[in-house]
Amino acid sequence: MTEINEQLSSLIDNENVESKPLDALIGNKALQATFSRYQLIGDVMRNEKAINIDISEQVMSEIAKQPALVTVTTIKATTVEVVKPENNVISFVKRFGQYAIAASVAGVVVMTSFITSSPSIENRGIEVLNTVPFGGGVSPVSLQANPLQSQKALQDRHERLNALLKDHQLQLQVKK
Amino acid sequence: MNERDLDFQLIQRIQNGEQQAFTLLVRKYQNRVANILTRYVRNSGDIADVTQEVFIKVHKSLPSFRGDSAFYTWLYRITVNTAKNYLTSQSRRPPASDIDVLEAESYDNSDALKEIDSPENILRAEEIKQVIMETIDKLPAELKIAITLREIEGMSYDEIAKIEDCPIGTVRSRIFRARDTIDKQLAPLLEE
Repeated sequence: MTEINEQLSSLIDNENVESKPLDALIGNKALQATFSRYQLIGDVMRNEKAINIDISEQVMSEIAKQPALVTVTTIKATTVEVVKPENNVISFVKRFGQYAIAASVAGVVVMTSFITSSPSIENRGIEVLNTVPFGGGVSPVSLQANPLQSQKALQDRHERLNALLKDHQLQLQVKK
Repeated sequence: MNERDLDFQLIQRIQNGEQQAFTLLVRKYQNRVANILTRYVRNSGDIADVTQEVFIKVHKSLPSFRGDSAFYTWLYRITVNTAKNYLTSQSRRPPASDIDVLEAESYDNSDALKEIDSPENILRAEEIKQVIMETIDKLPAELKIAITLREIEGMSYDEIAKIEDCPIGTVRSRIFRARDTIDKQLAPLLEE
């Protein structure tokens, strides 16, 4: 008993490296009481001790009424099933279907952009040559231009320029 | 093994289901907790109840204690929070400032206790103190020096061994013999 008490004494002073006195303490109420008294001696010597209470039994009895502290939580191993495809080659029909859908969507987008982005001729404030064909599409001018219409337009343009030039010269003469 | 190691060992045992290890934690800290509570709880009759509540909360929270801080620091926080809850339940305002965890160790509350404690308890405390101090006075010099250097000066066995110029084993033995002598006088008084 003396030996274990000596170990208890050094345990209180945090000078004991063995777990033997701790094991003895846990199951022995008489030793626990000695443990408390040894601590009380230190408290009184340091003039810290003012009240001496021992609530250990009440606390343990209250705890005993409560559910168990340690609840072993086992984490169930979750099996992740990797589903391997039966055949790694994607069927031709499936892939073709994807291409068809993508092409259709692209076509719709292009058509929509043409229709929505070209302003209507009526809304334009000035008269310009309408280069947008009836269907809404645009084709190269060289393939569609009428040679007779072009010559007539050129002739009109020349006439207008000449008229402007003559007018300008007339005004210069008047100023002189 | 330092105090922190000992506490962690006890906590590990509790967490592993060894409930009796909790008794040791209670025995080790119950008076320190009660001393802290005296700053908050003016009714001495309630101190034991609130101390009990503190330890029940500690027990409930132990599974989440990870040991990032010292056990006593953690216990101190729970103590102060429980005391504040107690004051709120009594419709009283908690003190504006808390005692720091380090100050709590050296907090001199003897005057406050004299005011609040019952005459019987004061008498009993005085009696305990008298028995301990008288027994220490009667101890042989080497035992008295060893226990005084340890308990009052807080020296380690190694430091005492150097001062007394003796092996550490002798220091261990002297401190134990001093405690054992005092304990023989104290135990009958506490059993009454």
